[in-house]
Parts: sequence; structure tokens; C-alpha cells
Amino acid sequence: MSTRHRNRKVSATTIGIMLVVVAAITLEATSLVQYYYSKRGIREEASLRAETQLESTENKIMDIIDQTEAAVRNSVWIARWCLDYPDSLASVCARIVMDNPVVMGSTVSLVPGYDRQRPLFAPYVFVKDSSLIYHTLATPEYDYPSKEWFTKPIEKDGGYWSEPYVDTGGGEVLMTTFSIPIKDEKGVTAAVLTADISLDWLTDLVGNIRVYPNANSLMISRTGRFMVSKNRELVMQKTVGEVVEQIRDNKSFIELNRAMLAGETGNMALVFQGEKSYVYYRPVERTGWSMCIVIPEDDIFGQIRRIDLLVKLFQLLGLAMLILILRSFFKNQSKYKELDQRRERMQRELQIASNIQMSMVPTVFPERTDLDMAATLVPAKEVGGDLYDFFIRDDKLFFCIGDVSGKGIPASLVMAVTRTSFRNVAARQDRPGLIVSAMNDSLSSMNENNMFVTFFCGVLDLKNGYLRFCNAGHNPPLLLTDNIRKLKVEPNLPLGIILGMDYVEQEIPFRYDDALLLYTDGLTEAENTRHEQFGEDRLRAALHGRKEAVAHLETIKQHISVFVDGAPQSDDLTMLFIHYRGEKETVPRHLTLHNDIAQISRLPGFIRSVTAERNISPELLNNLNLALEEAVSNIILYAYPKGTDGVVEIVARADRNTLVFILSDSGKEFDPTAKEEVDISAGVAERAIGGLGIHLVRSIMDSIRYERKDGKNILILTKHI
Amino acid sequence: MEVNITRKEKELVVHLSGRLDTPASQEIMPQMAELAQEAGDTIILDCTDLSYISSSGLRIFLTLRKAAAEKGGRIIVRNISNEIRGVFMMTGFLNLFEIQ
Repeated sequence: MSTRHRNRKVSATTIGIMLVVVAAITLEATSLVQYYYSKRGIREEASLRAETQLESTENKIMDIIDQTEAAVRNSVWIARWCLDYPDSLASVCARIVMDNPVVMGSTVSLVPGYDRQRPLFAPYVFVKDSSLIYHTLATPEYDYPSKEWFTKPIEKDGGYWSEPYVDTGGGEVLMTTFSIPIKDEKGVTAAVLTADISLDWLTDLVGNIRVYPNANSLMISRTGRFMVSKNRELVMQKTVGEVVEQIRDNKSFIELNRAMLAGETGNMALVFQGEKSYVYYRPVERTGWSMCIVIPEDDIFGQIRRIDLLVKLFQLLGLAMLILILRSFFKNQSKYKELDQRRERMQRELQIASNIQMSMVPTVFPERTDLDMAATLVPAKEVGGDLYDFFIRDDKLFFCIGDVSGKGIPASLVMAVTRTSFRNVAARQDRPGLIVSAMNDSLSSMNENNMFVTFFCGVLDLKNGYLRFCNAGHNPPLLLTDNIRKLKVEPNLPLGIILGMDYVEQEIPFRYDDALLLYTDGLTEAENTRHEQFGEDRLRAALHGRKEAVAHLETIKQHISVFVDGAPQSDDLTMLFIHYRGEKETVPRHLTLHNDIAQISRLPGFIRSVTAERNISPELLNNLNLALEEAVSNIILYAYPKGTDGVVEIVARADRNTLVFILSDSGKEFDPTAKEEVDISAGVAERAIGGLGIHLVRSIMDSIRYERKDGKNILILTKHI
Repeated sequence: MEVNITRKEKELVVHLSGRLDTPASQEIMPQMAELAQEAGDTIILDCTDLSYISSSGLRIFLTLRKAAAEKGGRIIVRNISNEIRGVFMMTGFLNLFEIQ
């Protein structure tokens, strides 16, 4: 792995981490803001709830307080009026108790010494079990003048609520007393009128303030004594100050105590045993009492904390998922990168393979006056299965074209093998039939993938223009003479199919200016977007006129390009153009005979002239003469109706190894090769008189071929020498 | 093409000289038809000076041979050149004729 790549990977990871961090910060900030405002709202709501409760509780208390005070104050005038008749004072008390259900007991206690006859006088009326009981407080044990409820109102010269106290007279009842001084007409304080009220309801009222499930409420007196507390042991037994002393780190408690004792209204936070609570406190007017509600923080914020916890959990989950997604994304990213690199590498290798393949086909053409060549190979993919090749040896042009079945890399490998095989075999073999047979054997013997090659191989003798060729399943090349026509080829099987197959070789004389276009089916089967094929007719049209080989191929390419009109190339396209421009024949080797049997005598001279440059045996000369005579005499005697004039054209071509005679006539169609072979082993009696002529031609020549073309009989006789 | 026929009792010597090609065969055909009448005897085809023979010439030889076979005569081919021997070989005539 390259350094560049590693760096990129690191930076990708960094980006991933940054993404996660940013997401985390954003989420956390959002939730913090939300939490803060929610908390503030909840806090405000809690305050509102606590304060409302406190206020309504105070109102309820004040109702009782006011009732009590009113009951007492309303009786002041009558008590004052009764001062002169102290014995009637008890009835004043009874009236108060009876008229006011909240009042449990009442007294009018005279100031000691006010009535000379009664130094101490304090009738006391109270309710017990729904009946009024008359009692006196003027006992030496009780010593009422020293009591707070007696001294304080006189001292204050106004109504006074006593410190709550526990009355043990009729069960343990928390009581408080409202006292008011009574003055006579002279303005002398004469007595104190009181009303006792039970504070049991207070315990219920305050104790039942339940703003939150775990909230506590308590009430203290002006001296800081517990009046209401969920901790009953404290009630009336301890002061807040005493309890606070036992608390460590009690600063906030001391402050709370002070504020409550000072009758302030407010709230503060307390931490007790690691638990934070909010305290809302408020005094009760005139009584000097103060109450407070203690709400554990968890009660207020528990819900939002749980929600916040849930939100945080979701955030974490989200972040975890984000990390996972990013991780898999980056992992895939690197996987894709790896795939990309692999693809790139394959592409590079394919390009190299393509270059190698292209370098296997020759692109430099022989610079000869007798030959004009051009070739092109355009694979549909980077590499293909088409091939062409050529080289010149011993003044002979060896050439071939081939098309491997299939496309792509497998085809290209077979193409390379085929081309190598061609070079190897053709290096020492002149006959295309043998070249193709040998190549077929070598390809068949190692063809395990059943790939085959259509192949056309030709050997053009540049000295005399004589062309031998062998076709192995390839499409026939186009022959350009004074017209354009398909070269007549034996179909044969493609290479690589049957081991040991003999391939038929063919031959044809090339004249000056004849040309051959070899191509693969990618040319005629080139498709346009409408799936029409280029076809042979368009190819012929593109070949119209005579020009340089290169120009011909360029024209064809242009025609194809216009035809396909941008449709993608589906098959390899290969062309090889061979234009023979050998020396024009100086000695015409043509002989024209009329349909007169006497013309036969012209044959020996013609044959001598044709073979003049060759060192051939008298026997062969004799035989050639014989074969030609047999063939010609057949035509002269039988081709034309008696009495009509006709000719036999003979063209002879000779190279170092081969003699070819092409006989043509315009007579009636007659194929001498179709004649049955004569039985030369038959005895005298059975021996047929006829058939010897064609038998001789067959025996003497190496090949005899008949064609009927353009109303002509054409007989091609070939002899290898 | 020249044909000379000489008779020695029951032996006819036919001296062929020149090229026995298609036109020559046509030319000597009547003469040869006459000769076939005497195929009951021994006919010696002297080919010493015969330089060439085509299928039409061979046909004449074969016609004589068939006549001889019918009439119980003999055909002897004498002194053929290598070229003509080759032609005889190709056509299976070496087996049909008595060659000296």
C-alpha cells in the first residue's frame, strides 16, 4: 500500500471522528439547552406550586386565627362590662366557647390586685366530651399571672398568640391561646381574655400539603419549636436550632432557621445527607409561626432527569450507530478503492496485452514495386481473436487472416498461438494446404477449450502472380479483377476441430493489377443501431474504383463508420488488402484455337514455349502435350455444333514449381471431370473404347477443375513440377 | 504421320512414323479399319518411329486388339519409346498388348 493511500485513509478516519464529535456536541448542546429551559420551567412551576400551597395554607390558618381573634375581640366589651361583677365573667367565657366551635376553652383572668376581694380570679371554661366544664385557673400550683398568655398581652398591650403548648388536661392536644388585655373605663388593664384553640387541624392541614410525592412540610413557632413535622418526636420537644446544631455543614440550615424566625418569605436550596432539596417558606401573620415545604430535588427534576437520561441514551445510541455507519462506510470506501485499483491494474494489463497483440500483427508493409498492401485490425475490446499476418520468403508472399471463435482474452490467447503456429509452419512450408493442415494438427492437439479458428492462408508467387490458397472455414475473400467477386473457396472445417484433417488447397493465377481483400465477418456484420448489418453489397460499393491499398481500407472504414452511426463495435474488424502489381507479362502465354481439329497441331509449339524456361523432361513435355490435346480435342470435337465457328482459349501460367493451363470456351456446358473413370484393369473384351482422354488428363495433371461461368466452360489444369 | 504396311505370309508389319495425335488418327482411321479385317493374322505395330500418341491413337490400337481377340489373331507392339510406354502405363495398355 502506498504512503499516499495511507495518508488518505488517516484523513478519512479523522473526518469520521470529527463528524462524530460535531454530532455529539450538537446533540449535547441541544439537549443541554432544552434541559436548562425545561429545568427552569419546572423549577418555576415547582415554586409556583409550593408558594400557592403555602399561601392557601396560610389563608386557611388565618381563617381560624381570624375567627378566634374575632370571637375574643367581640367579647371584650362584654367582659369589660362584667368587670364589676366578676362572677359573671365565667358566662362570658362560656359564651365564647359555645359560639365558636374552634375555641376549646376560654378564661377571663383578672390582673392580681385589681379586685381587692379577689386577689387571684380566673374562671376557665372548656369543652370536654361536648359539655362545658367550669374551672378555675386561680390555683397556687398554676400561678396564672406568671404565664406567658397572661403577661405578654399586657406587656404588648394588644392581642397575643401564645407559644403552642401541649395540653395534658384532656389528652395530649397541641394548643395555642389568643389573649387580649381588657381595660376598664379608666384605662387600667384589668384582665386578660383568652381563647384556646386546638392545633390538631394544623397538623393535618400542614402535614397534608403534598405538592410532590416526597415533599415534606413543617411548621415552627416563633421560638423555633416544631409545631408540625412528620417526625412526631420533634413536635414541641425540640427547636429547629437544636436540630440544626446536630447537622454537619449546616450553614444553609442556620440561614433557613434565621429567615423563618424573622418571618421572611422565600426559598432556598438545602443539601442534606447528599440529597438536595428546595425549601419554600412563609410566615403565618400575627402568630409568629412559619411554615415551609421541603421538596427533594429529585421530586421536581426526577421526571426531567429520567427524560434527559433517556434522551442521552438515544443520543449515545445515535452516535454509536453513526460511528458504525461511518466505519462500515470507510471500510467499504477502502474496499471500493481496492476494487478500483484492481480494475485499474487489470485495465493496465489489458492495455499491455492489447499492445502485445497489436505488435504481433505486422504493420510495416513491404516496399516493393510488385506489391501494394494494407491491413487493419480493430478489436471490439482491448484484445480480440482476429489476426492477420504476412511475410515474404523466396519471392513469395505468405499471408493469412483468421478469426478465433469467441472474444476477449481467451480468444486473444488462441490468436497468439495461431499466429505463432503460422509463422513456424510457413517458415519451412510453401504449400498453403500443408501449412493449414499442420496448423490444424497443432491447434487440435491442444484445444481443450473447444475454441476454433476460421482461417485463410495464401501464398502468392510474386514472380508470376500465381496464387495458391487454402481456406479453413473462413469467409471467402473478395477478388478484384476487372470486376469484384468472391473467391471460390472450398469451405473446409475451421482449424482446431478435427485432428489429422486434410485441407484442400486451391490455386488461381493472379494477373497484373489483380487484388484480394481478406476480411473477418466483423466487417460485413458490423451493425448499426437498428441492428442492420453492413453486408457484402455495401462492402462491394465501398470497393468501387481502383486506388492504393491504404486508401481502399480507409474508404471501407469510412463507409462503416457512416453506416453504424455511433453504434458500439460488437466484433473485431480485420481487413487485409493485397494488390498484385507484378511485371506485365512480356511473353503472352495465350493460345486461341478454332474448333478445327487440325488446330491441335499448334499445341506442341505452345507447350514448348510455355515451358521453355524450365528444365523439364521429354516425358513430362510429352505428357503435358497429351493432356492438353485430350482436353482441347474434346472441346473442338464436342463443344460447338457442327459447322459453327467457335474458339478455345488457353492461358498458361508457369512458375518454378507449377504449370497451370486454363481452357475456356463458349460452347455448350460440358464438365469433363464429371465423366466416369474408365476401368484400366479391364480385359480386352470388356475394355471400353472411350473415356481414355479424360483418364489421361487426370493421370497426368495434379489437379483438374471445371467451372461454368458467364456462359463459358472453364477447365483449369494444374501440374506441379 | 505415315503408315507403311508390309506383309510377310501370316505377319503384317505396320510401320507407324510421326505423331499419332487426334488429327492423324482421324486421317489413318480408314486404313486401320481395313487392317482390322485381317486381325485373324499376326499384326506387328512397329512404333520405332512413333514419337507421340494420343487417346485417339490408343483407341485405334484398342480397336485392332479387340478385333484380334475376336478373330484369334495376335497384335504385337514393337519398339515403343519411353514416352509412349508411359502412356501405355497410364492407360493399362501394357497389360492388353504384347510388347516387344
